[in-house]
Amino acid sequence: MNENEKKFGQIYFAVLGAVALAFGAAELIASAGEGFTWGILDSSGASDPMFLPWKAIILLSASLFYLSSVKNFAEVHQIAKAVMASIMIWIVAGMAIWARIASSIPGEETWFNSLEGFLASYAPPYCPEVFLLPFSLVIVYYILKEGET
Amino acid sequence: MKRKLKEVVKVPLSVDERWDLIEKISKQTVEFGAYKHTLKDAIAELTVKPLTGIPVAIAVIYGFWSFFCDFAGTLFTDGFMVKIFDEHWLPWLQSFFLGGLGNPFYALMVDAGHIEDGVLVASDNCFEAFGVLTSGLFIVFGVVLWAVLAFYLIFAILEDIGYLPRLAVLVDTVLHKIGLHGYAIVPTFLSLGCNVPGVTATRPLETRKQRFMMMTLLAIFVPCGAQIGIMQELVPELMGWIFLTLAIGYLGFGFILNKIVLGKSPELIMDVPPYQMPTLRNIGRKLWIRTSRFLLVAVPFVLLGSIIVGLMYLTGAMDWLAAVFGPLLMVWFGVPSETVAPLIAGFLRKDLAVGVLGGLMAQGIMTTFQVFTSVVLLCIYFPCLATFALMLKEENWKEILGSFASLVAMVFVYGGLIHLIGIMLGVA
Repeated sequence: MNENEKKFGQIYFAVLGAVALAFGAAELIASAGEGFTWGILDSSGASDPMFLPWKAIILLSASLFYLSSVKNFAEVHQIAKAVMASIMIWIVAGMAIWARIASSIPGEETWFNSLEGFLASYAPPYCPEVFLLPFSLVIVYYILKEGET
Repeated sequence: MKRKLKEVVKVPLSVDERWDLIEKISKQTVEFGAYKHTLKDAIAELTVKPLTGIPVAIAVIYGFWSFFCDFAGTLFTDGFMVKIFDEHWLPWLQSFFLGGLGNPFYALMVDAGHIEDGVLVASDNCFEAFGVLTSGLFIVFGVVLWAVLAFYLIFAILEDIGYLPRLAVLVDTVLHKIGLHGYAIVPTFLSLGCNVPGVTATRPLETRKQRFMMMTLLAIFVPCGAQIGIMQELVPELMGWIFLTLAIGYLGFGFILNKIVLGKSPELIMDVPPYQMPTLRNIGRKLWIRTSRFLLVAVPFVLLGSIIVGLMYLTGAMDWLAAVFGPLLMVWFGVPSETVAPLIAGFLRKDLAVGVLGGLMAQGIMTTFQVFTSVVLLCIYFPCLATFALMLKEENWKEILGSFASLVAMVFVYGGLIHLIGIMLGVA
């Protein structure tokens, strides 16, 4: 990993960690009350309120992993922290997407959902971890880089 | 080297000669040098250190549970099975099966019906029909099969990735406080699918004390996948509380058992393999073997349970038992006398029993707290018949009696305690 990649990684994961921290804190506050929906961001836990505090804890932990990985980022143990943070986000985001897939296939009255109903299941708003998912994928580049060395 | 090894087999070596041989082999096969930690090693370290490992474990368990609910509950049971059984199978049986509402054989096999405004009316869903071909089959193929499949799929993936041994290392300190070690997490997790393989998985534990403790804790405090599937279907809002109550009981009762049971709890050396990519073939095989074994054990018991419970209702035996045990249940545990039936049914299959509780809840006979108490009691009061049969095989009579005594004491103390807390909170 060269100096530029290291610098980029440090700044990128510091910002991602801060955003994840904000999302995690928002979910934790939301889980204590009734939750909120702000534009395309949904933190209401409407589908399953039981999971909301756990998701908040996982997001907060992931954010701390990201933030603690920033110092001396090129070191393998530090990259491992960012990898674990990304994996934690993949788990919660993956499960949010899987929940939509599972509910989009069967129909209300019919065996299978209509095409409109199926597509409508994937419409916004989305939960915070789904927004974090594409940004967390940057870690794959660093995993491949680490594999080369 | 090969010749030397052949000689070793023929001629017994002294200890010194063995060490010499080991040195010679290692010189020829092992390369020495500075080892640089790889990313895999660093990740492996993070997952066993408590500070970083616990959040990862929470994420893994969250993923596990979330997948389980959406796969088994949302997609298969609610999405397809309820429609198949309630909209097609039940009406078809109701219109074609010999007898009809009120006929004893029809009630046993298809639909016992229920009283509405003094009139016996047909059930409109398989959960409440209580027939062998309706409730019995719905529980097995409509609910339990998908719950068990989801559970074993995730279990096999975690096992093959290499996460389970790390989870064992992570919980080792906590489990040592109750006289077990980290490996106990494997039978515990397995039991969340089915208690039968969970009890079998206690074999690597070294002392009889550890095996006895593990089997007793599994039988009392770990609900199986079938039971979890039904609970998730009937009382999803209570799941968190039920699991919290069971986890407190598992650790608390384990601590007490560790103090009163004689014997040693030695260390166990466990192999922690490196993380690896699971293969589809391995996952598929494990899934097939475990699920098919589960079905072979579960299906006969659920159907037999349905028949016995149905017969007990028809002959009036259930009413008699309810009258005998009712006062005890009402005074000590704070649950209605109608709970006697599911508790008896629970000896055959606990999933079936939770289904019966669901019927009582739907009829408004029980409050939410009473349902919570009954489900917890059902979990802890006795292992299902299949688990009990295996425990008879694995333990000697002294240990079986010990397990039984622990169980009776636990049910009364824990069940009474829950009732007391309910009274203090004003919900019982």
